[in-house]
Amino acid sequence: MMDDPEGKKILVIQTHGIETPRRTYSPLFYAMAAAAMEMDVTVWFTMDGTSQLKKGVAETIQLDTTSDVTLKTMLEQTQDAEVKLRVCQQSLALFDMTLEDVIDGVEILGATSIIDLALDADHTMYF
Amino acid sequence: MSDHPEVRGCFLPLHLHYNVHENTWVEVNDDGTVTIGMTDIAQNLAGPLLHAKPKKVGAVRKKGKPLATVESSKWVGPVKSPMTGEIVAVNEALLSDATIINRSPYKAGWIVKMKPENADTELAELHTGQAAVDAYKTRIEAEDIKACEHVEGFEA
Repeated sequence: MMDDPEGKKILVIQTHGIETPRRTYSPLFYAMAAAAMEMDVTVWFTMDGTSQLKKGVAETIQLDTTSDVTLKTMLEQTQDAEVKLRVCQQSLALFDMTLEDVIDGVEILGATSIIDLALDADHTMYF
Repeated sequence: MSDHPEVRGCFLPLHLHYNVHENTWVEVNDDGTVTIGMTDIAQNLAGPLLHAKPKKVGAVRKKGKPLATVESSKWVGPVKSPMTGEIVAVNEALLSDATIINRSPYKAGWIVKMKPENADTELAELHTGQAAVDAYKTRIEAEDIKACEHVEGFEA
């Protein structure tokens, strides 16, 4: 059996956004799973992934119409699980977004920060 | 009154001690250990469980730290320990069939047994009996938690 993963660091990089809804839920689900296993989890939104974080957008993305779970629900559950949400500052600029456009609880970091996070993580998952 | 009162169809056996916020229960055993599991409300919110992975025997858990991870098709999360202590047994049956928790959350679906460090203090922080039922009524109504649905063969 594998060692207890408690305390290990996982970095999830999400490059997909609202134009591909089916690629939005799973990375957050995996992040929540890692958090439930007591790992230190960060999700880094960059490229198109940035679009998920614009205020008023995530509540419009609903993969299963028989469920009341939206992308907003997923993002909130992720934050409740103490997963850190970070967004790339340079990507925000590409989408003409500023700090005021981003949902609460997301920290904006620059490109050097993603390198630091990648070097510091025990494992990185790319989506 | 029934020993298994319901709130919105969710069973809450009176003899158990509940962490109402985390949806866990504790049963005090004769040998001083406690048995811990998820409530009927928790199994209902999660839906049919695909996997349940308890921590290992010998692990020492502080109150609030995960005892297990559980996942369904729509939710994944920890079962947070309602007490501090050492895990002395885990329900191995859950490893091959996590839906036991859906069918029997208070009996066959127990998750771990623990030797508690501060039993008296921490049990006093939980709700039991009618006080637990009342606390759940308040929470279920305030959060409009959906009524419990039970699979065939469910036992309270």
